[in-house]
Amino acid sequence: MMLEDELTVSVRERDGIAIIDLIGDVTTFAEEKINTAYRDVTNRGARFVLLNFRQNDYINSAGIAILIGIVTEVNRNNQKLAVSGLSQHFQKIFRMVGLAQYAEIYQDEEEAVQSFKTQAAAA
Amino acid sequence: MISTSEHTTSMELSFPSELGFEVIARDAVAAFARRMGLAADRVEDLKTALSEACINAIEHGNSLSPGTRVAVVCHCDAERLLVEVHDQGLQSYTPKGDPLSISDKLAGLGPLRGMGLMLIAQLTDESGYRSDGEAGNCFWLAYFRQPVVGCR
Amino acid sequence: MSNDTSRPGAEEKIIELRLPSKLGYERVAMDTASSLAKRMGFDNDRVESLKTAISEAVTNAIEHGNQQDAAMKVVVLLTARDDELIISVADQGRKQLDADCTTRNPHIEDAMVNADKGGWGIWLIRELMDEVEFTTAPSGGNQVRMVIHLEQ
Repeated sequence: MMLEDELTVSVRERDGIAIIDLIGDVTTFAEEKINTAYRDVTNRGARFVLLNFRQNDYINSAGIAILIGIVTEVNRNNQKLAVSGLSQHFQKIFRMVGLAQYAEIYQDEEEAVQSFKTQAAAA
Repeated sequence: MISTSEHTTSMELSFPSELGFEVIARDAVAAFARRMGLAADRVEDLKTALSEACINAIEHGNSLSPGTRVAVVCHCDAERLLVEVHDQGLQSYTPKGDPLSISDKLAGLGPLRGMGLMLIAQLTDESGYRSDGEAGNCFWLAYFRQPVVGCR
Repeated sequence: MSNDTSRPGAEEKIIELRLPSKLGYERVAMDTASSLAKRMGFDNDRVESLKTAISEAVTNAIEHGNQQDAAMKVVVLLTARDDELIISVADQGRKQLDADCTTRNPHIEDAMVNADKGGWGIWLIRELMDEVEFTTAPSGGNQVRMVIHLEQ
């Protein structure tokens, strides 16, 4: 069956920040793609990781569990995590679940990158 | 018409036979068709064709009669997506030959309404009508999942 | 077609959706409910909450209640009233829902140390909907009834 591809995950670097672009749905099917991307940037020594969400009108509890897994790894590896591009609804969900305590939420990539740069300069 | 096997994925939807509910049927069936991998432009074609079939069912098959319902049944197998629209057959459909084109209609050869069947024919890979007798009318719309040579 | 005698004059419209028990088809329920809720006049924030709640309810029915047996159906009933939308999601009950998981309050601190990072679905439903009730369907399956009020 040729189901639509629910999620496209890609990795890039900008100003020393590892950006993981997540385009599409974050559900149980996203697990391998997200974990692979995270391992990839971590193996390359990323200190600052940004999950940049785009066009994702569907994140469910299985997707939230995957992201909690990433938060756990980020803490273990002493990295900094931020998220950007979430709709108002999913910003609310992230706060409800408590993910906002572990990952700064920014409106867009630009805002997140500026904040990371300030933090990097202060460190 | 279709052999339902374990390789067929099916979904059913039913709604009150009232104008306006065809919009909800469109959104439901479009979501199903996208899941089956139908191309975006064909999903748009399906939405329009389905609305027309639902409106026919509401206005004609169910004669705008309160309390009646319209059922939409979708089957998808390896070859095609088949969408059936069922009414309760208060009024049965009589095929009137080929639907008239807009130029025929503008030339006064037929009523201005009734473009629905023409749209359905043009926006599907195959479509048709069958009578389910007492159970009502059924218009069906089909879309091939792989391009078939000579058949777009 | 009111079948609620306790509310004379209250008109209700029912949309019924029967979905295959395959992950991904919760999208069909989300898009159908969203289409209906928008037409009823719910604002965008409430529609998004409804989509998340219904996705969790249908996903539970697919994964747990029907154990991902695609031949089993998930039945979603959307009942639109003047002042509220009632969503009922029922599975065929291959597996019964544990009573304690309908009342659990998960904490992210626990999730971070436990191997299981999940368990947020039912909690999200309770947080996002105005009324939530877990029952056993007449057919023996699990059923969740959720209500979202339309503030005028």
